[in-house]
Amino acid sequence: MRLRSVQRGLRIGAIAFAILTYLILIGLPTRLGSVATPVLALLTALIFWVALRGGKSKRALADQSPAPLALTGATAGLASGLLTAALIAGFARLLAAGVNVQPYLDKIVPLNMAALYGVMPGAVMAGELPGGGWLWQVGLLTLAGVVGALLVLLERSLRQRTWSTGGALRWLTIVLPFVLLAFVIWLGSPGVTLGGNNRGTLRLLAAMAAIGSALFALRAAQRGREQRILALLLLIGLAYLPFTLDQFQNSVMGIVFIFVMMGLGLNIVVGFAGLLDLGYVAFFAIGAYVYAFLSAPFASPAFSALLTSLGVPADAPLVSFWVAIPITMLAAGLGGVLLGIPVLRLRGDYLAIVTLGFGEIIRLFMLNMSDLTNGPRGLLNVAPPYLFGYNLGNPRDIFILALLGAGVIAFAAYRLDGSRLGRAWIAMREDEDVAQATGVNLVQTKLLAFAIGALFAGLAGQLYAARQTNIFPDNFTLFVSVDTLSLVIVGGMGSIPGVVLGALALKGLPEVLRGIDEYRIVTFAALLVIMMIVRPEGILPSTRRRRELHEEGGPASEPAITLEPALPTDYRTLDGGKL
Amino acid sequence: MLVLDQVHTYYDRIHALKGVSLSVERGEIVTLIGSNGAGKTTTLRTISGLLKPRAGSILLEGAPIDDLPAHEITRLGISQSPEGRRIFARLTVEENLEMGAFARTDKAGIRQDKARVLELFPRLRERLHQRGGTLSGGEQQMLAMGRALMSRPRLLLLDEPSMGLAPLLVEQIFQIIRNINEQGVTILLVEQNAHVALSIAHRAYVMETGAIVLAGPAADVLTSPQVREAYLGG
Repeated sequence: MRLRSVQRGLRIGAIAFAILTYLILIGLPTRLGSVATPVLALLTALIFWVALRGGKSKRALADQSPAPLALTGATAGLASGLLTAALIAGFARLLAAGVNVQPYLDKIVPLNMAALYGVMPGAVMAGELPGGGWLWQVGLLTLAGVVGALLVLLERSLRQRTWSTGGALRWLTIVLPFVLLAFVIWLGSPGVTLGGNNRGTLRLLAAMAAIGSALFALRAAQRGREQRILALLLLIGLAYLPFTLDQFQNSVMGIVFIFVMMGLGLNIVVGFAGLLDLGYVAFFAIGAYVYAFLSAPFASPAFSALLTSLGVPADAPLVSFWVAIPITMLAAGLGGVLLGIPVLRLRGDYLAIVTLGFGEIIRLFMLNMSDLTNGPRGLLNVAPPYLFGYNLGNPRDIFILALLGAGVIAFAAYRLDGSRLGRAWIAMREDEDVAQATGVNLVQTKLLAFAIGALFAGLAGQLYAARQTNIFPDNFTLFVSVDTLSLVIVGGMGSIPGVVLGALALKGLPEVLRGIDEYRIVTFAALLVIMMIVRPEGILPSTRRRRELHEEGGPASEPAITLEPALPTDYRTLDGGKL
Repeated sequence: MLVLDQVHTYYDRIHALKGVSLSVERGEIVTLIGSNGAGKTTTLRTISGLLKPRAGSILLEGAPIDDLPAHEITRLGISQSPEGRRIFARLTVEENLEMGAFARTDKAGIRQDKARVLELFPRLRERLHQRGGTLSGGEQQMLAMGRALMSRPRLLLLDEPSMGLAPLLVEQIFQIIRNINEQGVTILLVEQNAHVALSIAHRAYVMETGAIVLAGPAADVLTSPQVREAYLGG
């Protein structure tokens, strides 16, 4: 057994060495400069992770036990470390002896990548990878091997949900958000130079990681008292975030949480009720515009003329931000019903197309009804929220408001999920005919899904308008719908914490990645593709959805004879029934 | 209990039911047999409100139900186990059963009925927390019937319970149908497997291309030369 672990380690080490050699030859370390060491070590750890987990299947993962795995990882790391160090030392020796291997290297490296990257392999040979002498290189790669093994174990316990028995790992998960919070606060204290010019980005990243890890911590905690206490502590900790972050960080977080509000609303329509809505931005736009009319009536020529003719002064906000909330939500909810009525009989693709059109219609309406909306010139001077005379329009307060809004919506969504209406949504999502036959009122249930989802988008839209103070039709393109849908899917359809995580990943990370702008979209797309392959149910899925995508529970005694189920429910009865 | 009088149902322009009249008395098992496309399933879907008749009337205990939406008909005590089972494949067996009781609010009664259903189908108890889609064909049929029973129906509509099942299982399922009936549930049973259906039913209707062509006590229908030739292989 031990021998087999070592053999496997050597094999994996050789593979990692081959990949590293290639990366060195194309001059990646030189290109990365000062961050070459950590980046390459991290990359190697990821290579080890993938190699050590041994295939995608669950069984392969379950077969791994800690001790042999650690042995394999360490062996692989040591082997690749020694080989790499020898390679670099060899190059250095050759260079010292005055042998120029450049022309040969250019021939080895495919497509002349070295030249493409504009790198002198000579510089690499002098020992820039990973820097600090061969002992350091060997040690670092061995560590990478061990980390790779740990990642496999972590993944295994995540998948098998052995958190409750996983002792140390579980406590680590619970403590992590507090550690990250402390790190955020420490980074912000004067005199700290860690991260240099990128300290702000690092802080933002850590803050987002703190929120994300808090969600995992809550799931790791035992239900009941432990979870409640943890939730309270996390809430206190996270409530401190807006007060420690700077303007830019708060403004990013504000947008992230406005999208959390949106995502939670769309999650009801798509995740709970299974209605694919691609025009969700419409309700966001309705919320924003209605609030703009209410708070800046003077900005709209037609509306202010109407008010003046009615004898109402149009040069000041009609109502305050707080009074506007029910009005905008109601307007958006009405929009939801208006969209819902014509699409009652549509399913699947057809529904997606019609809702997509609805979203665009609203945007084009805002664009072309110049008298009312000022067209592309937009509505300016929308009022920020005020509370007892204090202007709450600054990034920090907007972040706090978004947090509060998201909290209220999350609570509402949570209650809906367990309610009778929630069960009606599930039944409808699974099979409309049968749902109806078990007593679900389809018309009412569908309209409620659209309306409730729209209410929340309306609230998000109002907050968005108050944050921007100027709104234009271009703020409400199809991409807002797409982004919102993506974050729901990435987070895990039907999962409330998933939405928060999805928003952090999809709206937050791109802001952090701005530093490496050229690779931003590529990195991001790659992340999405990888995620859809390894975790199609989303990062933090609801229990039911996880069951849907990963077969669990005891095996059936005989293969299920399913007559139609390969097709998603939506396609099943397009003809409205069978003859 | 249930009376259909000259019911006409269309799929767009296709005239599927051409004046179907039938009746089901309290406590009976009535079977509706016929070949593929005869309109058996359409008849059931019309009764349960998933299709609307263009002409004719449907009376439940003397009151018309043909213009009510499906979910209200369920509340009146008509429950359907649909063709092809159509269980909620991604929900667990238990959730499927609970969904069947959606229209009810009496928690104690629901719990009681769940126990009764699990007693009727012990196999489901073993699979209670398994996804519906992982069940075998026979188990899915049991689940579909169990789900239909969870609304505590007065009238149970069963659509092709024998479909795709091994002969031994068919026998089991039909024994259970008889048990359900003995517990006081009236049953309207649609079947292609005429022989088994006629062996447990009290009365039978034979359908052909959207109309009833023969009716009578099951024993008589079983021996009628017309039926023997068409459905029972001579």
